[in-house]
Amino acid sequence: MISIQEKNNQIEKSIHDKADKLLREDQVDAVIGYSKGTIPMRSCPVVIRNEKDVDALIWNNFCSINLAKYLAPYIPTLKDEEGKNLRVGIISKGCVGRALIHLAAENQIDLENITIIGIPCNGIINRSRILKEFGVEEILKTSIVENELILKGKSFEKKLPIEEYLNELCKKCKVKSPPSLSSLSEICVGELQDISTIEDDFADISEFESKTTEERWAHIEDLLSSCIRCYACREICPMCYCQLCFVDQKLPRWFGKTTELTEIILYHLVRATHLTGRCVACGACSSVCPMGIDLHLITRKLEHIVKDRFDFTSGLDPETPPPMHQFKMDDKQEFMLEEE
Amino acid sequence: MEKKLLLKDQLSEFYNILEETYNFYGPIEEKGNIIFRKIKNPEDMVLDYSNSKIPPKNVVFPQNEILFEYKMNDDKIEIEEPKDIEEKKVIFGIRPCDANSFYLMKSFFKFGEYEDTIFLRKRENTILIGIGCNNPRQTCFCTSVGGHPFNKEDMDIFLVDLGDKYSVESISEKGKTLLEKFSWLIDARPSDIEMANELKVKAENIISTKLDIEITIKILKNNFNHPIWNEISENCIGCGSCAYLCPTCHCFDVIDEEDHYNNSGKRIRIWDTCQFKLYTLETSGHNPRPSKVERCRNRILHKFSYYPSNYGLIGCVGCGRCVNWCPVNNDLRVILNKICEIERKEESIIA
Amino acid sequence: MIKESKEKREWEPKIIAFLCNWCSYAGADLAGVSRLKYPPTIRIVRVPCSGRINPFFILKSLTDGWDGVLVSGCHPGDCHYISGNLVARRRFAILKDLITFFGIHPDRVHFMWVSAAEGERFATLIKKVSKKVKKIGPNTKFNNSRE
Repeated sequence: MISIQEKNNQIEKSIHDKADKLLREDQVDAVIGYSKGTIPMRSCPVVIRNEKDVDALIWNNFCSINLAKYLAPYIPTLKDEEGKNLRVGIISKGCVGRALIHLAAENQIDLENITIIGIPCNGIINRSRILKEFGVEEILKTSIVENELILKGKSFEKKLPIEEYLNELCKKCKVKSPPSLSSLSEICVGELQDISTIEDDFADISEFESKTTEERWAHIEDLLSSCIRCYACREICPMCYCQLCFVDQKLPRWFGKTTELTEIILYHLVRATHLTGRCVACGACSSVCPMGIDLHLITRKLEHIVKDRFDFTSGLDPETPPPMHQFKMDDKQEFMLEEE
Repeated sequence: MEKKLLLKDQLSEFYNILEETYNFYGPIEEKGNIIFRKIKNPEDMVLDYSNSKIPPKNVVFPQNEILFEYKMNDDKIEIEEPKDIEEKKVIFGIRPCDANSFYLMKSFFKFGEYEDTIFLRKRENTILIGIGCNNPRQTCFCTSVGGHPFNKEDMDIFLVDLGDKYSVESISEKGKTLLEKFSWLIDARPSDIEMANELKVKAENIISTKLDIEITIKILKNNFNHPIWNEISENCIGCGSCAYLCPTCHCFDVIDEEDHYNNSGKRIRIWDTCQFKLYTLETSGHNPRPSKVERCRNRILHKFSYYPSNYGLIGCVGCGRCVNWCPVNNDLRVILNKICEIERKEESIIA
Repeated sequence: MIKESKEKREWEPKIIAFLCNWCSYAGADLAGVSRLKYPPTIRIVRVPCSGRINPFFILKSLTDGWDGVLVSGCHPGDCHYISGNLVARRRFAILKDLITFFGIHPDRVHFMWVSAAEGERFATLIKKVSKKVKKIGPNTKFNNSRE
């Protein structure tokens, strides 16, 4: 078994090779990837346009952002002067690949112009959790050695096992690389994953659901009460591409905009309904939250609902319409009220 | 005035005396985040923090602030003013950068003939008791924007953490009057003052980021339209983390929350940020800042160009919160350096 | 809002009912014309189709202080707009799953099919809904309205 450090190096090297080749052979105009962050435990999304700059691309366990966000819709710098989309290569861990495929299923992007550079992701480290555990101690430097994360501060040096400190979603992730699909074979380079044998396990959700209504409500209240409504979760979500979000609607103004707890829960609840069958469980929303709110339970529940009700997993097939875009005459309706 | 000493053991006594007349706010840990809240037990306070998550501006300028409440009875309308304006407050443990932000915000809320009474009254009723910053973070850059980890100008009372005690110094008139209540404070010895001075130099040396703000301000004046803004805003996702965690951001929106069932309602002021799509959206549907590029530019220009030209101040205190919490690591220090390079590049072209 | 008399009475829930124009509203009408008895706990909002119901209407009703929400449409296959109720059914399914997951009592929100001919069914189901909502008590948790 090779260590996480070695694996990261391998992935990084393959990113360099593939990006270099694509740019050199003029198969793409730009490559979106991650570059080194300026602070510990962060990475910075970057667009590379020239093969000379390829070395700026990195891979480590802090590459938390879902890059598909920059293609849905295309950011202005990825369009040419006439407003046409450039040909873009995108460094894709499993969830980026899934997001792209799902966006294609919703007709939001045209995969033809996109080259998916697949990489076998080995999990993203839960930055918020580490920062919370260290409290007021400042972490000045981090490095990944073997399977451990080494954190250096002013007066301490600590080692944490990476496996243990991954995002909860990454621990349960079954799609590490973009799914290999025959329909996509022309636009994919790099490592892909066979998805025919995936089996989901929702033990965590069953555990949470075995709690009483009051306990669940208390948990959700406690989880969301520190939300400041900066909408980082919405803005980083590749599926939140609405021109006008429901919370921003003014006529009528459905929503209170204050940080009253009911309004916060209402926001997260409605956002959850909007993401059912669409969320690809990348965990970006939790990674970016400045208040360190971990939304993984909600994300997992969304996956659970669509798997359970509609036997669907988002982002695995660009041809199948998402469950909320269709219906069947014989959908389950055990929740409907009946006379005895 | 000469300096006094407050032993850390005496802190609860200090708190008890102040608590009689003032609502006492201080930094506590709430779900892993340091936030300024009303203190019930002085032992809850976390005073060795290096930067609170939410800046203490929320004590006088909360995220949701009721401007007035109304109630309609048949043909009468009753208007109720907010109750907490005259609330006497003490903010304890505020850092020099955050204290500086109170000054910056005041210059905004009291500009020309327009005065925001609610903010100004609240500010007037607030006493700042600050603590010098012994351990600035690596993202701090207060020295580049005219601040200092031991800057005491904007405080009423200034403390320095000397291990098991604080040196106490009153700065403003308000602070002097307040300290009279604490006649039992012992005088600081010369060795303590020396230690405080050493800590000051040490803290200054920890700050490694040096930015040339003077040049940045000059460059920004002439480069409203420059391709660099595309580059800077490229990976910005347009969330409000930077603004909501910023101690100097003061933009707000005013909304009415009606209660149709009871014929009543309230007018609330909530934080707003230039990064949101709704910011400066006009009724006609036109938005002068239609895309991320303009919105990102507005954030930088507001702090480093409009503020200097309107108030003669820099609209940033260098606390580094936005650097630490930007989801995509769009580092303000990098942005400012990039802007500085515009001129260098142009110079090299001419040369 | 109806002014309550000040006498102390047993608490009765207030339930908002979104009824589709073509079946359920007519069903409710039939129940009334047939003089069937059912509890006076519901306030009806007529909507063109159950497919018109945005999950947000339901949640907003709760935060506005309603103790229960009821949505009723045509039976599957009978929709005036052919498939509006089938689209709605999927939405209701996930909404019910999610609110239950969030810790809001599942009996706060009800969905049912009532056709224009089923006055009796309407009355029976309203009795059932009222009973269920009454059992879980007033909506205090997920409620933003002040008294």
